[in-house]
Amino acid sequence: MTKKTFHQNGGRTWFIVFWFILPFTVLYSAFTIWPVIQGVIVSFHRWGLMGKQGWVGLENYQKFLGDRFFWQAMQNTTLFVVMTVPLLVVSAFFLAVLANRPSRAKRFLRASYYLPSILSVSVVSFITIYMASPYMGFLNQLLHSLHIIPAEVEPMWLSKTALVRLTLVVTTVWWTLGFSMLLFLSALQDIPEQLYEAAKIDGAPSWRVLLSITIPILGPTFALVTFLQIIASFKVFGQIYLISGGGPGTVTRPIIQYIYTTAFTKNNLGYASAMSYALFLILIVFSLIQLRIQNKKD
Amino acid sequence: MKRTKPIKLSDIVLTALSILIAILFLTPIVWSLACSLKTEGMKITTAFDWFAPPYTFENYPSVIFGSSVSTWLVNSMFNAAMSVLLTIVVTSLAAYPIAKLEFKGKSWLFLFFTIGLIVPGEATIVPLFITTNQLGLLDSYAGMILPSVAVSMNLIIISAFFKGIPNEMIEAAKIDGANHWIIYSHIIIPLAKTVLVTVSIFAFMASWNNYLWPLLCAINDSMFTLPVGIPTFAGTYTVDYVRPMTANMVASIPAIILYLIFEKRIVKGVTLSGIKG
Repeated sequence: MTKKTFHQNGGRTWFIVFWFILPFTVLYSAFTIWPVIQGVIVSFHRWGLMGKQGWVGLENYQKFLGDRFFWQAMQNTTLFVVMTVPLLVVSAFFLAVLANRPSRAKRFLRASYYLPSILSVSVVSFITIYMASPYMGFLNQLLHSLHIIPAEVEPMWLSKTALVRLTLVVTTVWWTLGFSMLLFLSALQDIPEQLYEAAKIDGAPSWRVLLSITIPILGPTFALVTFLQIIASFKVFGQIYLISGGGPGTVTRPIIQYIYTTAFTKNNLGYASAMSYALFLILIVFSLIQLRIQNKKD
Repeated sequence: MKRTKPIKLSDIVLTALSILIAILFLTPIVWSLACSLKTEGMKITTAFDWFAPPYTFENYPSVIFGSSVSTWLVNSMFNAAMSVLLTIVVTSLAAYPIAKLEFKGKSWLFLFFTIGLIVPGEATIVPLFITTNQLGLLDSYAGMILPSVAVSMNLIIISAFFKGIPNEMIEAAKIDGANHWIIYSHIIIPLAKTVLVTVSIFAFMASWNNYLWPLLCAINDSMFTLPVGIPTFAGTYTVDYVRPMTANMVASIPAIILYLIFEKRIVKGVTLSGIKG
């Protein structure tokens, strides 16, 4: 058992504790916990930007089950998760391995791979919009200059559905990969040197070492990064909202954007709250799995 | 005689590849920096013209002082500074009894404080908007700052660090007649500088780059932060690349400088938050 720090009578200790935890408890309760409860209350009402308009019971929940825009947004979000997460996990691992090789450029590599992560979503989105726009954008000019695509071909990165999806995925991977890369990097550095020594004596080629030593040891890190990325990708909003606006039409609109539009453009906060709980449920399940993995890992 | 190890071809290929990818990662950032240093209406015929001189810095004063960017810059800085200050004070206060005092119901309190780890802020944004509105804090600095102050992850990181501070130091101070406030402010806080700096950096980055919440909370143009303002700014300059990219750089340079100064701490902090959670 750990040694007790202070032996005092309970009442007095609580009086002291009370003042220490008061500011945190107030802010945390008001802005983290209360909205979760408030959301349930709101979801049972018709609720506009001006306030409560009347009790509707479960109507808002029944409504989204039959709302094709809700399901489309869910499908778009899921597709985004499926396209982004594997690419992110694999490339983050790959870049971590590259940045971990003994070389003079080590620090430069790590900083370059991580730097996009510190930019704000608006900056990232506007760089993408300006780079990927047709005729004047840097991307098409570069592809033309390097003769990768013929001069008369002008890919519409921001308006053709398949290309828009690709643009959104590539932007997201470029922007957010740094965090996962650092997690892999620190896990790689924790692998004891002796494990590699043995393989070196056996004369195993480095790709074999990677496959049969590094990757199996990093199993828990792979699981952790995967779940963190699934959670992050389900919450996607900013870059899609800013780059494609959810378009063309609504084919790339993610669930948070639909919730946002329902609440603040269509003035239906009750319905938006009900839909939020569908997302909430999905995220809680993945968060609990992720916390389990982390506890096991520690 | 000492023989140098033969350089393998695969090593050269991998090094070249890793540097090529690094350049690829930096290109969009360098490109927008290059745009911000161009004069308006420069002729661009090939992709490489973007990076060619002449350069000029005159876009920066003209964008910062000739538009709302200066207001947004001040708002972003104020929000980030207040958010860091409040996060550090409020969280370290709560972390002290959790790490160093024994009291009834402590484990329940800690459990309550960790619920926030699994509450996805994005999924409670609508009720948060209603709560903030009911408190009369919409379109105010308090409304933008306060919701991001009490964060479970920060409490866990700081209290874990406090736990590592030896109890003997506290016992000694107690014998000298120090009360808990003195122990907290004169012993614990000075010893915890490293972790407090790490949490500060993350609180700064989170506030500086926050988009969804200020987008909802700031209603008047004069309350916008840079991330909220930039899209409206860029929207009015569709043909012009120079001014939007300058605004982009104004929003990014403080974060980039912070990263370059505190790189080690940031790398450590990311690992900590990813592993400790």
